[in-house]
Amino acid sequence: MIQTKELSKVYRTDEVETTALNKVDIQIKEGEFVSIMGPSGCGKSTLLNILGLIDSPSSGSYQFLDTEVANFSERQRSKLRKQNIGFIFQSFNLIDELTVFENVELPLIYNQVSSSDRKKRVEETLEKMNMMHRAKHFPQQLSGGQQQRVAVARAIINDPKLILADEPTGNLDTSNGNDVMKTLVALNEAGATIVMVTHSQFCAEFGDRIIRLLDGQVVTENLLKKQKQML
Amino acid sequence: MIEHAIKLALRNFMRHKNSFFINLSGLSTGLACTLLIFLWVRDELRVDKIFENDDRLFQVMEHQDYSDGILTTNSTPGPLGMSLEEEIPEIELAATYLYPASYNLQVGEEKLRAVGTYAGKNYFKIFDYPLMTGSAVDILAGANNIAISETLAGSLFGSVEEAMGQSIEYEGSDIYSVSGVFKDLPSNSTQQFDFLLPYEPFYQENIEWMSNWESNFPNTAIRLKKGAQAAVVNGKIKDFIKGKAENSRVSLFLQSYSGRYLYGRYQNGKQVGGRIEYVWLFSLIALFILLIACINFMNLSTARASRRAKEVGVKKTIGAGKKALVIQFLSESIILSFLSLLIAVGLAGLALPQFNLITAKEIELHFDPGMIGVLVAISLITGIIAGSYPAFYLSSFRPISVLKGTLRSSMGELWVRRGLVVFQFALSFILIVAVVIVYKQIQFIQDQGPGYDKEQLVYFNRDGRLEEQSTAFFTKAKTMDGVQNISSIGHNLVGQQNNTRGVEWDGKDPEMTLLFENVRINYDLLETIGVEFKEGRSFSRSFGRDSSAVIFNEKAVEIMGMKDPIGQRVRIHGEEKEIIGVVKDFHFQSFRQEINPLFFQLSPENSWFMMASLEKGKEKKGLENLKSLYEEFNPGFAFDFEFLDEQYARQYAAEQRVASLSRYFAGFAILISCLGLFGLSVFTAERRKKEIGIRKVLGASVTQILSLLTKEFAQIVLWSILIGFPIAYVLSKNWLDRFVYRIDLAIWFFVLTAVLMILIAVVTVSSQAFQAARVDPKKYLRSE
Ligand SMILES: Nc1ncnc2c1ncn2[C@@H]1O[C@H](COP(=O)(O)OP(=O)(O)O)[C@@H](O)[C@H]1O
Ligand SMILES: [Mg+2]
Repeated sequence: MIQTKELSKVYRTDEVETTALNKVDIQIKEGEFVSIMGPSGCGKSTLLNILGLIDSPSSGSYQFLDTEVANFSERQRSKLRKQNIGFIFQSFNLIDELTVFENVELPLIYNQVSSSDRKKRVEETLEKMNMMHRAKHFPQQLSGGQQQRVAVARAIINDPKLILADEPTGNLDTSNGNDVMKTLVALNEAGATIVMVTHSQFCAEFGDRIIRLLDGQVVTENLLKKQKQML
Repeated sequence: MIEHAIKLALRNFMRHKNSFFINLSGLSTGLACTLLIFLWVRDELRVDKIFENDDRLFQVMEHQDYSDGILTTNSTPGPLGMSLEEEIPEIELAATYLYPASYNLQVGEEKLRAVGTYAGKNYFKIFDYPLMTGSAVDILAGANNIAISETLAGSLFGSVEEAMGQSIEYEGSDIYSVSGVFKDLPSNSTQQFDFLLPYEPFYQENIEWMSNWESNFPNTAIRLKKGAQAAVVNGKIKDFIKGKAENSRVSLFLQSYSGRYLYGRYQNGKQVGGRIEYVWLFSLIALFILLIACINFMNLSTARASRRAKEVGVKKTIGAGKKALVIQFLSESIILSFLSLLIAVGLAGLALPQFNLITAKEIELHFDPGMIGVLVAISLITGIIAGSYPAFYLSSFRPISVLKGTLRSSMGELWVRRGLVVFQFALSFILIVAVVIVYKQIQFIQDQGPGYDKEQLVYFNRDGRLEEQSTAFFTKAKTMDGVQNISSIGHNLVGQQNNTRGVEWDGKDPEMTLLFENVRINYDLLETIGVEFKEGRSFSRSFGRDSSAVIFNEKAVEIMGMKDPIGQRVRIHGEEKEIIGVVKDFHFQSFRQEINPLFFQLSPENSWFMMASLEKGKEKKGLENLKSLYEEFNPGFAFDFEFLDEQYARQYAAEQRVASLSRYFAGFAILISCLGLFGLSVFTAERRKKEIGIRKVLGASVTQILSLLTKEFAQIVLWSILIGFPIAYVLSKNWLDRFVYRIDLAIWFFVLTAVLMILIAVVTVSSQAFQAARVDPKKYLRSE
């Protein structure tokens, strides 16, 4: 599903050049759950943004769903993104002015789903995330754990093939973090491909393997025994 | 702590140059407008408040009771002043005076025209205009006394000292001797004249008609004794005239002398305001403009809040109390407001000459302690109002959420900010509508015209030899290049001047009392001014008996209820007259009033204005020719003419001034509002960048984002229109209601204004909206 070759990203700001990614080769198959780890500033978010088609690489090749997308325009990326990818962020990134319902509904609006369809799907998804009773609330009125459940609902409403999660448990306590992990595992079992950045070894080990980054390069890859049963 | 606050404030200004500049220009423009309005209002409030005994000075006013309503006037019977002084113990002094007009004065070879009138001997005791020589007690006591102004003394005699006791020839006949020189009258005195002649001798000379208690001509002013109650005196004088003339329908009352300038409008016997409304209106506009500028500051400061949140968070964490922070932010806005004040004073100084031109005032910027006090107070209040919301908003940030980056603006705060802008734009909307409507109404009056050709008409006094030799003058003038026609009239056709109740006709209800305007004219006058006839004919030399003919206007015929007026007879002051013509109604009064009944009589002797119509395009030539002809007949007299047009426009001078002033102020209000809207668009872009980022990640296109942003502003503008509409409607209807002849309050005024506002708003916010829509999403998704 994902294949990168010598993928690099260089940031240039006033004379200073930062190499955020340096010739990264990774391969992720459909249905895999991959964790990415590494110290702060090693390029994890940059990699996730490129994989998620929010950003484009400086050089190298990136094949997504067997299509070379490295040189895609913003418009092309946007189209692929909204149809295939769901995002979960550490800081939730919900829109404060919209209710829970409206936040979750957004991806459907941008995918031109009819309003009756939207209502049905939002309700189903909120039900699934156990957030239906909060549909009319605004994000500030929710706890961190609840907000992340809304963010997850928004990420999966469109049945994306790929879910990208950047430190999804970073702002949560252990019990709320475990809930999120449970959900990700369940989604993965239902067929979604998941790439998750995390600082926590415990969380990382829910994945099928861990990719470790250091200074923009892949240093090791571990295959893991599943610990789903621990939950 | 204050020092630290100032240092930080200045540093903050430097760092955020854009918003500093927007705030500074908005506030200084707003303060400059406010300052000018303040000066104007102060000047208005001081008009005629120039006499020592202001609180004891009163104008004697009349309510005249007629079948179609009560007419209130300051014209009184000639003997009223003298009798009041004698018979009412509370009245200490009374002075009678006439309307000033322009007269010829001559000293040796020196001839000039000056404005003067007759005034009672107590005049300078009541109105204590400072005298340079002479004494208030006897300056107007002698029958041949003349009191002249400093300037007139200078132009006639070279100096004030030399003027005393010198002779002046008045209107080519009487000789007066200078009994005193008064300082030039201040511009905030409503009475303006260059010289005064004694009233009592004039009264004696014309005693036959001046002593009539039923005719009303001069003004009467009185001074009450110390401690006397105006209300008590009012009770005593109410039926004073009825005691002198049984049939009188007049009741008297006192109006504060200085109060009559601002409270000069009466409707059916009730005081209904006057210029005071414009004082209120402009005070309100000043307040609005200042509020609009303050709102800009609030919006821009809170727009920057997220950038400053960190400063607040850190400060709070290390122990700064809320109070310290409030002081810091308040001092920032107060410093800004004082900086703006400096610029505003400069701006106002620059604008003052133009402002004086528009307002016809002589306002100067004097920095007396009172003025400085007011300026400091205004800036302080402005600074506090502008700074209060941001100060409390910013200082109430919880440090923990700021530092963790989870700060977000609550719905309440958003609504406050939006509400402020809605308020701003509602005010702007009201101002624009007001300007459009005032402009349209003035335009209407000007386009509509009075019903005769006022543009080409000039009139001047039938001075000197023109009276005896008028036929020769007319004959010569008519052949001159640029002169179309010429005649004479006893009325300048602007305003009520000479009215009478003495019209009787068959079938008239004996109880009915009605005022008819009585216009005495010469042959050719109606042709000269171009009044249209509805039926009948004009006065003509080919009919021998036209001196017993009368011409009415349509309104008069309608009121008298005549079916077939031509040939019918009426009695005017007991004399029988035949109706020979009916003219179409024309406006000889203000558009504020219904057209009143009027008649023309042929009376060449009493037609003391020459009225000439000039050829279009040759006005200058015609005037020059008239001038040389005039000087040929009256060697040494100065030719002093007036265009009827200007005289006509003068009736609406107050409205004209209000119209052009409000145009300027509305312009500034909109400018400042747009600065504010721009500020809000900056704020929105700032606040919504993250939201836009999220939306873009979820697949929103640039167009979708643009429409999202524009929708927000469109909503704000629509709300402000919705709120502004009813207020603007009521206000303009109210204003228009004072004109009997007025434009319809068409809906398109409002629609046009709305469209204009939306356009202005779109232009203002578009740059920021485009920038925001092109935001790079990944920058705003970071966890930090
Ligand atoms: N927009 C940017 N401009 C310049 N440098 C950037 C930008 N985004 C990230 N970087 C730099 O790239 C490197 C990798 O950043 P990031 O991918 O956010 O690291 P991580 O998520 O692993 O903490 C860092 O050194 C960071 O400073
Ligand atoms: Mg990161």
